[in-house]
Amino acid sequence: MTPVHPRQRRYHRTLTYLGAGILIAAVTLYLALPILALFLRITPAMFFTTIHDSVVSSALWLSLYTTTITLAVVIIIGTPFAYFHSQYKYPGKVIVDTLIDLPLVLPPAVAGVALLMLYGRAGVLGRYFNMFGISIAFTTLAVIMAQIFVASPFYLRQAKSLFEQLDPAYEQTARTLGASSLRTLTKVILPMTAGGLVSGAVMTFGRALGEFGATIMFAGNLPGVTQTMPLAVYVGIESNVNVGLTISIVLVIISFGIMIAVRLIQKRGGEHA
Amino acid sequence: MLEAAMVKRLRDYTLDFRLTVQPGKIMALMGMNGAGKSTTLNIIAGLLHPDTASITLNGECLCSTDKGINVPAEDRRIGYVLQNSAVFPHMSVRDNVAFGLRARHVPRPVIAERVSSWMEHMHIADLATVKAGNLSGGQKQRVALARALAIEPDLLMLDEPFTALDADSTKTVKELTRTFVKELQIPSIVVTHRVADSAEIGDRACVICEGKIEWGGKPAEIPDFCTVCRCR
Amino acid sequence: MYFTTKLKKINKHSVPYRLFSHYIQLKGRITKMERLFISRKALLVSIACTLLLATVFFAGCTSSTPQTSTPAATVAATGTPKPVYTASPGNLVIFTAASLSGASTTIGSSFTAANPGTTVSFDLDGTQALKTQVENGAYADVFISASNSYTNTLLSEGYFVNGTVKKLATNYVILILPASNPANIQSLADLAKPGVKIAMEAKQVPAGTATLAVLANLANSTYNQAWENATLANVVTYETSEPAVATKVSLGEVDAGFVYQSTAAAAANGTYQSIAIPVKDNYLQTYTIGILNESINKDAAASFEQYMLSTAGQNILKEYGFMGPS
Repeated sequence: MTPVHPRQRRYHRTLTYLGAGILIAAVTLYLALPILALFLRITPAMFFTTIHDSVVSSALWLSLYTTTITLAVVIIIGTPFAYFHSQYKYPGKVIVDTLIDLPLVLPPAVAGVALLMLYGRAGVLGRYFNMFGISIAFTTLAVIMAQIFVASPFYLRQAKSLFEQLDPAYEQTARTLGASSLRTLTKVILPMTAGGLVSGAVMTFGRALGEFGATIMFAGNLPGVTQTMPLAVYVGIESNVNVGLTISIVLVIISFGIMIAVRLIQKRGGEHA
Repeated sequence: MLEAAMVKRLRDYTLDFRLTVQPGKIMALMGMNGAGKSTTLNIIAGLLHPDTASITLNGECLCSTDKGINVPAEDRRIGYVLQNSAVFPHMSVRDNVAFGLRARHVPRPVIAERVSSWMEHMHIADLATVKAGNLSGGQKQRVALARALAIEPDLLMLDEPFTALDADSTKTVKELTRTFVKELQIPSIVVTHRVADSAEIGDRACVICEGKIEWGGKPAEIPDFCTVCRCR
Repeated sequence: MYFTTKLKKINKHSVPYRLFSHYIQLKGRITKMERLFISRKALLVSIACTLLLATVFFAGCTSSTPQTSTPAATVAATGTPKPVYTASPGNLVIFTAASLSGASTTIGSSFTAANPGTTVSFDLDGTQALKTQVENGAYADVFISASNSYTNTLLSEGYFVNGTVKKLATNYVILILPASNPANIQSLADLAKPGVKIAMEAKQVPAGTATLAVLANLANSTYNQAWENATLANVVTYETSEPAVATKVSLGEVDAGFVYQSTAAAAANGTYQSIAIPVKDNYLQTYTIGILNESINKDAAASFEQYMLSTAGQNILKEYGFMGPS
């Protein structure tokens, strides 16, 4: 083969840079322009006025409240679950693995129908709850349950994979040094997986915050009780565009805020191989 | 004194032998890759369950399948330095060394004193506040050694401690190990696949092939593995 | 095949030379093979760029309907994406108020039977959603609205072809209960009882506005303000389309729901119990039909409109519980 001429190499490089530049620009624009459009269709003055609208503020409060609880439940229950699931072989482990992934591919509306069929007043379990006067559908609890159902896989899969990939030597060493399972988990394993767990939590938060289909089916749409921000956007955009835009912008700002906060946390935490 | 006899069926062969190590003496456990050396250490440490076993340390029974005794790994008072040291990278050196003591709820002043003294012994006192993940291979190994010895174990086990080290660090670790095993008068097992290392550190050596001890004797006289094991 | 170039006279700093200099061997000969041999990298990059441009171009040409997401609250819509309706000759796209879902299948098949060569696709959703879509560029030939006010808005915004907006049908509001009537509602007064769960449409949905008007009328005439307040306090969900309310009632998840009479009439026997609302307190919802300016099938659209207004169309609507336009 003829040796590659230095000019030939420069020519290749120029083309590669050009091609890369076009691709990067295209992807960036595709993602950034719609977000920009949100901001461009409403004036700052109108935004600040609308944000005091009761629909907006109650949706905002409800969303943040429910999503925080969802996140807390998923982390507190999901972390030990993912730990045990990753450490032990047990019968049916493969089925549990599949179930963890299921809400990811299930359309949210289907999830909502399923929850309603189980916990609704006429539901398989719900009818018994109803006998004791406990009703779940159309309550804020239903919002949280729907969010947990659709968002937990993001955290569980991440935690499970982190725990599986962690070198077992650390856990074994801790054991031989006399550490209990709890101490091992809290002092060794969690600090080493913290970065990945945080990013899993962020994805969970984002997914829960944006949940629509399951919420409207299982929890309904009642301002102050079950009308989360996505529902308020959907209903608002058809009657009062400004309400829809304002809530959308608030959601964008929250999302950006979370992502920046996470990057700062991860930078300070540092990487642990 | 460690007396261990164990049988465990593994995927390709069955592990089956007995082992005795005197206090203050280092046993060099040698063999080809996959012969069962690390498995042996894991069973003695209590991390793996054998099919049948009888393991006694200083007269105390750690594991006896006949009598149904199995002391959990956390309670066995064994210092075990795994391959690649496994120092906790997010903790400082001091916290690493103190880990075992804190886990056993030793009173704080005792911890402070023991940690400082062991860090001195291992020449890592100046690294006390450094995050363990930032250390070199040799430094990590010494931290792991300090960590294992700080709990005042009845047995010290090292799994391939020299593979990732350069010549100087290897020499240091060997010296430190020999010194403190003698001083504390505890039995010790060092797994290694290099005959030279074994000759330098071991008081006795044995060669494992496919789960069975095929040769035991003085380290200086270790034969070629392939003559002892039936190499394919 | 070789040919020589008079390299010594070529300006080595010229752009063409720099671009194509890799073709030139050190000895100054270009071979056919080398000319054909464009670096693999450059080729791949140019393919990628072309594909990207092609995708953008293709997407821009075919879709004139921005896919606005309308995750319907009805059980029927279980996440299958709605087809993007584009202008296509011979296919009528009818944006239809959701309360006509039942009727639409029959209408579709009878119309196409009578007019072979034309196909009909119905996009069913809350009128408010459809109106927003049209305002944002969605394509449709005919718009059937459940609300006069939405129709008037679209008219004033110039979306309809002048003179094609006609009254299509009317509907009244009715209260439906699950077949088992779990809250034992015997009259409208019982709606105010504490603990009763009521479903209704959001106020943006025409049926929602209608229901709110009905409640106000009833409070004025028969019951009192306290009744209206208590009833509204018993609402547990404001659904985004009328069929969604019917679904929640039929599932037994709520004790009562406000829907159109057509829904109650067209349901299979035994699905609901119902309590009628006196005509004097009721709200007459007027459905209108009109042809959109953007339609490329205006003749076919006109036939459709005529069909809907004719006896044949009106009979189908009556079958499904709707009342005549007057």
